[in-house]
Amino acid sequence: MMESLFYMAGFVAFTATVLSLSRTNATHALIYLIISLLAVAVMFYLMGAPFAAALEIVVYAGAIMVLFVFVIMMLNLGQAGEQRERQWLAPRIWIVPTLLALILLVEMALAITQISGTTSGVEVTPKEVGLTLFGPYLLAVEIASMLLLAGLVGAYHLGRRSIDRSRQS
Amino acid sequence: MSETTATIIFALVVLLGAVSAAAVLTWFERRLLGIWQDRYGPNRLGPLGIFQVLADMLKLLTKHDWVPPFSDRVVFVFAPTALVVAMMMGFAVVPFSETLYIIDIDIGLLFFLGMTSLAVYAVLLGGLASNNKYALLGGLRSAAQMVSYEVFMGLSLMGVVMLTGSFSLQAIVLAQVDGWYCFSQILGLYVFLIAGIAESHRLPFDLPEAEHELTAGFHTEYSGMKFAMFMLGEYLGLILISCMITTLFFGGWLGPDWLPGLFWFSLKTFFFICFFILLRAAIPRPRYDQLMSLGWKVLLPITLLNLVITGALALSLQGAS
Amino acid sequence: MPGLQVPLEHVLMMAAALFIAGLVGLMVRRNIIFILMSLEVMLNASALAFVAAGAHWGQADGQIIFMLILTVAAAEVSVGLGLVLLLQRRFKTLDMDNANRLRD
Repeated sequence: MMESLFYMAGFVAFTATVLSLSRTNATHALIYLIISLLAVAVMFYLMGAPFAAALEIVVYAGAIMVLFVFVIMMLNLGQAGEQRERQWLAPRIWIVPTLLALILLVEMALAITQISGTTSGVEVTPKEVGLTLFGPYLLAVEIASMLLLAGLVGAYHLGRRSIDRSRQS
Repeated sequence: MSETTATIIFALVVLLGAVSAAAVLTWFERRLLGIWQDRYGPNRLGPLGIFQVLADMLKLLTKHDWVPPFSDRVVFVFAPTALVVAMMMGFAVVPFSETLYIIDIDIGLLFFLGMTSLAVYAVLLGGLASNNKYALLGGLRSAAQMVSYEVFMGLSLMGVVMLTGSFSLQAIVLAQVDGWYCFSQILGLYVFLIAGIAESHRLPFDLPEAEHELTAGFHTEYSGMKFAMFMLGEYLGLILISCMITTLFFGGWLGPDWLPGLFWFSLKTFFFICFFILLRAAIPRPRYDQLMSLGWKVLLPITLLNLVITGALALSLQGAS
Repeated sequence: MPGLQVPLEHVLMMAAALFIAGLVGLMVRRNIIFILMSLEVMLNASALAFVAAGAHWGQADGQIIFMLILTVAAAEVSVGLGLVLLLQRRFKTLDMDNANRLRD
């Protein structure tokens, strides 16, 4: 019963991802991507990682993807954008990269089938994650916070010029 | 198996209860605001005008279900549905009494935060799909507003989590037997109240739909059934936020023993619903930049301060015992 | 309820398939927004593999790597989308191939 839920979530995640990356309309693509992220969150939860599942929803689907929607709203692509996308997606463009990637996938699959074992079935609680995060991984947390600061400064710098210009005019 | 069936039936009862409470709230809000502002409010249909709810419902359901030809059809219909679904999912983790709850998971609080953050999409996609400049502006505003206030909302609750040591809502209620968190977490409560209003984008923080500058904001193009779903989502959000304030800061279903926990829970929740409605009549709407600077310059320092103080206290208490 | 015993190779296959889907998207699309989305898919696929490995050993480390990946994704998206806006403003297009000049 629960196993079938897991495989269903996996199916939804993969289908939604493929649909998402083959859309011409950016809004539809984003909605498919959000569905894919939610399905991955279900997989995390079933594998016994409830904290990761919650973060996947709150941060990935709830904050990072909102940024994408925000930018799409500001760009306002419209019908002309969709026409152009369709031209860019002609079969002669995507067939060779897809074939090469499929060969890679087959190789990876052959390598993965060598692995045996199951997920342990032990639930790793948020408390354990927190204790490990602020214990052995403390340095990684510091570096991650530096990275976020760098991202903040970078994003501000990229957007700053337009802010200044709009103030002068 | 019978336990599963009982849970499913209870979930249906909760959903029906929440939806009908939201419907009655439309009337209750207008009546209460009427009393507050020294006028009648809807009082014609039935005793105290309660049948106004039915009349409104009939009107909204029988209206022509119009999708604007210039809109993005699929997304346009998807947006209000997403709002109602996300809000209803939020009710899954609310503990109504000691035994009455749908599910009590380890990450109940995070689940609630996740569902409120998914509700952002309804407003965003509704504004984007409408293909209308007022709707687009409303959507842009709501994106920035709700993403910012989500941060404070999440951080303000971490003090409660620190004191309890768990994300499970039932555990949080049980940890308040000795004293409600509204005293020790007064700063967290303050931020959560404000962020809660901003998240359910009700007056005074309804900048995404400010009617005198954006006609109706993100739902300008919506009418009939789909508009009703946006309204339903808004009232469900109001009830959900009130439930969460009760659970997290005011002891949930805890109360004197001579009445069941469900009664105390409903009483406290009702109080907060009334509080939110009266707040709507009492405070004018701020400007958009004022709202954002209130968030980042006042609420964020307060939540961080609260976290530091709570963490220090929790650590020192732990060391003492 | 959580804590399901699924064969590890199935989860890793799933992660590999998602990763390849993202890789194809990255190679095929020319619109920079879709390229960023493909990157997100790839990051997410690797996160899935890490969480599966963490679940295999019953340790928290997998979830911690997931959180670090989340930080990387957040920083990358904020800068990347800033670049998207800049690109659109300067070249009036989202075509990556137009951004091959160092100076305009």
